[in-house]
Amino acid sequence: MFQLVPESLNFLAAATWRNLFALFVIVVVYDIPRYYLGFIAVALLSIFKSKKPLAHGRGDFVSVVIPGHNEEEAVERCVLSLWEQSRPPDEIVVVSDGSTDRMPDKLRDLQERGLIQEAHCTQLRGGKAAALNLGIGRTKGNIIVVVDCDCTLDRHALRNIIEPFADPGVGAAVGNIMVRNAKASLIATCQAIEYLICISLGKRAADVIDGISCISGAFGAFRRETMERLGGYDAGGSEDLEITFRVREADLKIRFASNAIIYTDVPTTVPVFIRQRFSWDQYTLNYRNRKHGYLLNPLSPRFNFIELLHTLDFLLFSVGGGIGFWFYLVWVLSAYGDFAPVVLIGIQLWILALESCAFLLAGIMTPEVRISSLLPYMPAYSFLYQPFMRSVRSIAYIREWVFHSSYTDRVAPRKVHSARPYL
Amino acid sequence: MVAAVAKTGEAKPHAAGGYRVLVAENSPVIQDVLKLVLSRRGHRVDSFTDGQEALEALRKNRYDIALLDYHLPSLSAAEIAATIQAEAHGRELPVLVAITADAEGLLTSPGLENFDQIIPKPLDIFKLGNLVDQPLKKRRHAPEVTEAAVEREPVKPSVPAAPVPLSFFEGKGYQFLTWPDDLGGERLSQRALDAISGDPSFDAILIAQPVSIDALGIVWQRKSLFALPVIDLTGTLGPAADLDVSKLNVGDSGQIGRLFDEVRDRRARLNRDVLFTDDLGEKLIGRAYVMHKPIVPAYAPSSRELIFYNMTLRAGLVAREADALCEQDLLERKFFDRFNVCPRCDSVRLHVREECSKCRSPDLAEEPYLHHFKCAFQGPESQFRRGNDLVCPKCKQELRHFSVEYDRPGTMLVCNECGHAASEPSVGFVCLDCAAHADAETCTTRDVYSYQLTLQGTGFAEYGRSFLGQGRQALRFSEFPIELIVALNAAAKDFNERKTPFTLINILYPNERELTAIHGARQFALSRDLFLENLRGRLGGAGTVIKGLSYDFALLKGSGPDEVRNEFKSLKDAGQRTLRFDLGVRFQAFGHQDFL
Repeated sequence: MFQLVPESLNFLAAATWRNLFALFVIVVVYDIPRYYLGFIAVALLSIFKSKKPLAHGRGDFVSVVIPGHNEEEAVERCVLSLWEQSRPPDEIVVVSDGSTDRMPDKLRDLQERGLIQEAHCTQLRGGKAAALNLGIGRTKGNIIVVVDCDCTLDRHALRNIIEPFADPGVGAAVGNIMVRNAKASLIATCQAIEYLICISLGKRAADVIDGISCISGAFGAFRRETMERLGGYDAGGSEDLEITFRVREADLKIRFASNAIIYTDVPTTVPVFIRQRFSWDQYTLNYRNRKHGYLLNPLSPRFNFIELLHTLDFLLFSVGGGIGFWFYLVWVLSAYGDFAPVVLIGIQLWILALESCAFLLAGIMTPEVRISSLLPYMPAYSFLYQPFMRSVRSIAYIREWVFHSSYTDRVAPRKVHSARPYL
Repeated sequence: MVAAVAKTGEAKPHAAGGYRVLVAENSPVIQDVLKLVLSRRGHRVDSFTDGQEALEALRKNRYDIALLDYHLPSLSAAEIAATIQAEAHGRELPVLVAITADAEGLLTSPGLENFDQIIPKPLDIFKLGNLVDQPLKKRRHAPEVTEAAVEREPVKPSVPAAPVPLSFFEGKGYQFLTWPDDLGGERLSQRALDAISGDPSFDAILIAQPVSIDALGIVWQRKSLFALPVIDLTGTLGPAADLDVSKLNVGDSGQIGRLFDEVRDRRARLNRDVLFTDDLGEKLIGRAYVMHKPIVPAYAPSSRELIFYNMTLRAGLVAREADALCEQDLLERKFFDRFNVCPRCDSVRLHVREECSKCRSPDLAEEPYLHHFKCAFQGPESQFRRGNDLVCPKCKQELRHFSVEYDRPGTMLVCNECGHAASEPSVGFVCLDCAAHADAETCTTRDVYSYQLTLQGTGFAEYGRSFLGQGRQALRFSEFPIELIVALNAAAKDFNERKTPFTLINILYPNERELTAIHGARQFALSRDLFLENLRGRLGGAGTVIKGLSYDFALLKGSGPDEVRNEFKSLKDAGQRTLRFDLGVRFQAFGHQDFL
């Protein structure tokens, strides 16, 4: 067993380029463009995109909406961190979405202390989208910032997330999400690495090519006109992803505010992690290929070439990369037999090297995260987390494709699922 | 008894030479008594046994007072009075006083209106002694009273008020002071003055006309009146009166008699220190003792404090005094209720209401939320209303099927004034007295207690200040902190061996309750600590300051209690320096002899 790694390295050293390409087709096709495109884009960004000093939105009225379900514990910390902002919000509206804990009492207390301007507590849970819509309907600001209850903010987060709105073409902005509980468990550490690469670096790259894929519900900002035009969030889970499609469709720019940092807790146990990812991935497939399926149809009046690229990227890299991995695995096993582990480990080492580069670059771009404490976990991330996540993703896509499982998940209440158009 | 009256008389500022008094009385014994009493008070007395003679004397000489027995030979008192009034022609008349054994019979006889006063027989020395004060006062206060004025407004006899116009009390032999006749005027009646000077014959104060509690302050300002039960004939005093006659049945009269008897009995046992005290707190103890019931509050919406205690004194005053007495262990208290207090005017008459947390308007409308499942729109029902239909404002779909298409997850309270919405209203208060607005945060609270005499309080009521003096001096060793006991032992040893005197100062905080109520327990504790710290700094090496539970202590070496007492003020000032609140600190000094 312990011979495998040196053997793999020998194998890599001895192989010819042609052989290597044949072997690492999946890496060459999938991973190199993904990561290297990102690298190049970010490099271009930092070299060519000069930092224009933008207005700090002094004339803006910033409303923050915080939805929560049974967040008695977390909500106060979140609200307090909002008042710690260098640019404090002009109003905070909190919605307790049918909480059964003492969250309504907590909100009354916060309101009496003047820490929140409005608190709404429904008796029945309606899902996050409905809670957000209720809150947004009560705001007065020209910029509406959505913050998750369990998040806490960096001191300049609010100032930085409203900065992009100085550009009148920008309809929405999304903040940079970092993991607060990276030390809680191995899976949390791996998610911290993933967030750093996919959000801090990935969105920065996507921003350059106007390709932000999701205005994260943890920390997103909208111009009021955008919200009003879109009618708010739509029913169902992953409502943040869904609204992103509609923002782009409305021809509004979405900016990634890399210096608007928010910290969140990620799942620390495998079952919770799996549930979260199932939900995300199922909704992603549902929205992208069903609800917004016209994006793939060149004959649709709403067809848009850029969106096609987005969707192709998703199908090719996310779905294809997820499910294709298993075909590749079967192929390697059948072709190499006993030698397969060596090949696979070789591939994974190669990927590890790529990922480490991406990770280091992300770390350099994001000085707020101490990468030295995460770096030792890169092998675990690459060898355990990535394949595991890929498996979860594949299963999620199959579940959704075959069973429409996004209609039965627990993110939204059943009454909402029954009323959502079944696609 | 006569000597006692004379003694009182000496103390009074009489006009030089006193007054000229005419006494017409057919009983030589009474004549002698009157002569003795009045001349001992410095008055000149001419006495007659015959009516005609008396009339002649009145025509000839100028008298200040004329005491006329109602049944005189040859000419009745009524006839004398009528004649003299008729012949006055602007001349200044003496004060005419009738003496009779049959006051009630007199009331029905003609000519009564000519008298200024009526004294019933058997003669009461108290009354007589005080009687002479009245013309004195009358002259001092209204020297210009002329005959004409008197004729226009004849002085109203005060006696008719005494027989109570109520069947309950008639013929039972009870004596009453009456509001407003005895107590309500600018000047107190003779009878009231008698009662104040300790005449034990009165049984109660009768309230014959509607009166406010504040107007009855006179009962508490003067001595000994507080020990009389207050009988309310009008039903306006409510729980402040001891007896509301308007709520009694005829059959209850026996009870009233027993009440009067019991109260009279206990009044007799009340120590004279307390009966004649000027201290309001001591009066409270006296009253609680005499009435033989605790001082209990009752709701009284007409009062600013929303309660009356069962006495004719403002509740705030009662509470303040009674709390101070609790500190001294004379009363013990029991929680009754907690009120919110207007931060501006201190009234507790607050209107409680639900209001907008933002603009404080009570004009709130309750509006249900609607949640359209399909498009996730959630908002107030009014946004969905299109006549009779419900139409989603976001996706324009008509909502038909409750629980499948939409539901009502909650309600929103919308303020009609400012549009602010919340899921729960705030609670606010409006002061009914000053219209100030307050909310739970700005309102302080005030606790109301009922009070009852402790054993020590009863002892004080029965034995007076001497009882208290002993009781108070006693130090409670059981309350000493261990640190103090050690220090005291060392000091005592030092005293025994080297005769170094020492003083233990007991530091009391009489304002503790008040300060805690206003500023909170923490602020008080901080101030107390700071006081001790300052005191420590002031004493330096000369003494040790030790914190106790309810009291604190300072042990000073090298000086005895008497020396230390002279330093009390400077010590208190040093401790109080830099403090925001006046702790009202009281010191008690104890020397070695107290620890024998």
